[in-house]
Amino acid sequence: MKNKRLWMFEIFRGFAAILVSLAVAAVFIFITSDKPWEALRYLLISPLVSFRTGSSSFNLTSFYTILAAMIPTIFTGLGVCVMFSANEFNLGGEGGVMLGGFVGTLSGIYFVTGTGFDAVLAVLIAGLVCGIVMLVPALGKVKLGASEMVSSLMLNYVILFVILHFLSSIFADRSKGSLMTYPVSPTSKIPDLVSGNSHLTWGFVIALVFTVLVTLFMFRTKWGYQIRMIGINKDFAKYSGMKVGAIVVLSQVIGGILSGFGGAIEVLGRFTTFSWLDLPGYGWEGITIAILAKNNPAFVPLAAFFIAYLNKGCQLMSTYCDVPSEMIDIIQAVIFLFFAAEHFLAKYRQKLVVKTTVEELKNLSAKEKGGAKA
Amino acid sequence: MIKEILPTLFRADFLFSILRITAPILFATLAALIAQKAGVTNIGLEGIMMISALFGTLSAYWAQSWFVGVLCALFIGILIALMMAFFSLNLKTNIILTGIAVNMLGAGGTVFLLYLFTGMRGNTASLSSPNILIPTVNIPLLKSIPFIGQILSGHAVLTYIAFFLVYMTWVLLYKTPLGLNIRAVGEDPNAAQSVGVSVNKIKYIALALSGALSGLGGAFMSMYYSQSWNANMVAGRGFIALTAEAMGRGEPVGAMWSSLLFGLAQALRTKVSGIQGVSSYLVSSIPYVVTILGLFIYAASTYRRVKKKKVEKEKEKITK
Repeated sequence: MKNKRLWMFEIFRGFAAILVSLAVAAVFIFITSDKPWEALRYLLISPLVSFRTGSSSFNLTSFYTILAAMIPTIFTGLGVCVMFSANEFNLGGEGGVMLGGFVGTLSGIYFVTGTGFDAVLAVLIAGLVCGIVMLVPALGKVKLGASEMVSSLMLNYVILFVILHFLSSIFADRSKGSLMTYPVSPTSKIPDLVSGNSHLTWGFVIALVFTVLVTLFMFRTKWGYQIRMIGINKDFAKYSGMKVGAIVVLSQVIGGILSGFGGAIEVLGRFTTFSWLDLPGYGWEGITIAILAKNNPAFVPLAAFFIAYLNKGCQLMSTYCDVPSEMIDIIQAVIFLFFAAEHFLAKYRQKLVVKTTVEELKNLSAKEKGGAKA
Repeated sequence: MIKEILPTLFRADFLFSILRITAPILFATLAALIAQKAGVTNIGLEGIMMISALFGTLSAYWAQSWFVGVLCALFIGILIALMMAFFSLNLKTNIILTGIAVNMLGAGGTVFLLYLFTGMRGNTASLSSPNILIPTVNIPLLKSIPFIGQILSGHAVLTYIAFFLVYMTWVLLYKTPLGLNIRAVGEDPNAAQSVGVSVNKIKYIALALSGALSGLGGAFMSMYYSQSWNANMVAGRGFIALTAEAMGRGEPVGAMWSSLLFGLAQALRTKVSGIQGVSSYLVSSIPYVVTILGLFIYAASTYRRVKKKKVEKEKEKITK
């Protein structure tokens, strides 16, 4: 009963954090916009409901677009969950997505077998390469004690510039006006799940499958258990005989592989060429999602949906109203601060704990009295 | 290629540019250092620099005075650092996540705020006027010395302040009671608490100082270095500063040398990118590659020293 009450409190606190962030967003909207109510409607309702004169209806296309936007962020979110669970603050998801997209595209152009497995091959190669690259911060941490956070952040920039170099010097399609690769072979494309222009591909199904796989990995395997134990208490894990170094490396390599998958699936699903000229931002979104999911992979799709929904709302708001879409960063930052705040509403939590304990003691004493009479 | 670059490396204008490029990194490194000394890893430096750079430029424009701009940037830096302190110390949000949140505000939030205040998108290039730029100073006697004068004289006021702050930080940390408290809290918060030092208060002060320093760094970026504010202008300097702090072994003077190293890397990047036949993209990655290498080399050296000490201690135990 005690646990249930506290669990309910956690959910309540999560909603409170989200409400605070939306309230902050509303304040900014009221300052910026000439027609704040309309802007708010675009932010909160329009992603799923389309308004026509007199009637409103569920907007299926828009719903598919939101689901499509979740594909890369589910992967980065899962990757961040695994790494943060081990208390490894590897922030290389951003570079991982970029590299995964690039390698996946190259594989889709140049390693073509013509069979149905080209897309699978491209995604696997992309994941493999990203996993190997993540060895740099991981081994730096384990072998040398260098902060994985700083090295992975710097690695993002290195990956960006090295990719741009190869893209512009070797792989560019010169017949195009802007910098991009040649189109990938049709067999390497990830097929659409629904018809239309929503870009909702089979990648979404794969993302959900990986959610299940990563959840099982984290909660049902030896390695997942070790990753979580290291995150809770590294020294204890070490003294109880776990190979801490190997597990730390494993967690970051898994994180890299997942972000590589995300990047490759995104590019091969949404586009036909690789044309990212800047870090795509999915890595940072993945961190927000992992925070919202409290590092539990099972909740990642839900958190990814929430962020994708807000993103869509911000886009609509900036298209139809006078509020810039960068609003999403402010909302995310506030969610970050409050959602991860362990002592947010701590007084209320304390009261709850006290109340529960008092009730339990009463119950106990009542039982004892009953026992004494009998 | 090397033949083309080498002679230019010893010219006064190149050495001058190293100092100019080092200044913002130095501000951020000192900011990282003070926070780290109090046991707080401030990864929000990047975001603080972006936000204070924006408000520095805007307030300088509104007041038509660079001095007001710098003060405002300093103030905003302190304000954000205090917000970080509130969330990480009172509400117990993980300090790294707090830093990431501040960096998000710095990346996208600033673009939004700029639009909110001025209606401009992405940069403040149209606000440029000479009054809002930090002025340069020619130092009377120094200026007339050939070569050295060319390198050391004619910098912006804040460049001199940056190097002067290295000394001030050292004084603060090693010659004042506050510095002693900061170091004590960083070394062992429980011990500090047991002798009556308020750990949270000291951490608040250290973070505020850290915010003030990175605020100055931000002002330098937008009001002198690139002459206006634009999105992504800090470009990882806040993170480079974290490495520079570690490589400087957490000492102000060491921090200065490692900042100069990263300044050199950045200056080389600008130099090399001017030469034909060199990939501008690969050159752009130089500062970041140098940072990773620097971090690893530094970490490797300390790691070995610690290991050696351990081995020696164990040997002593055995002989006893």
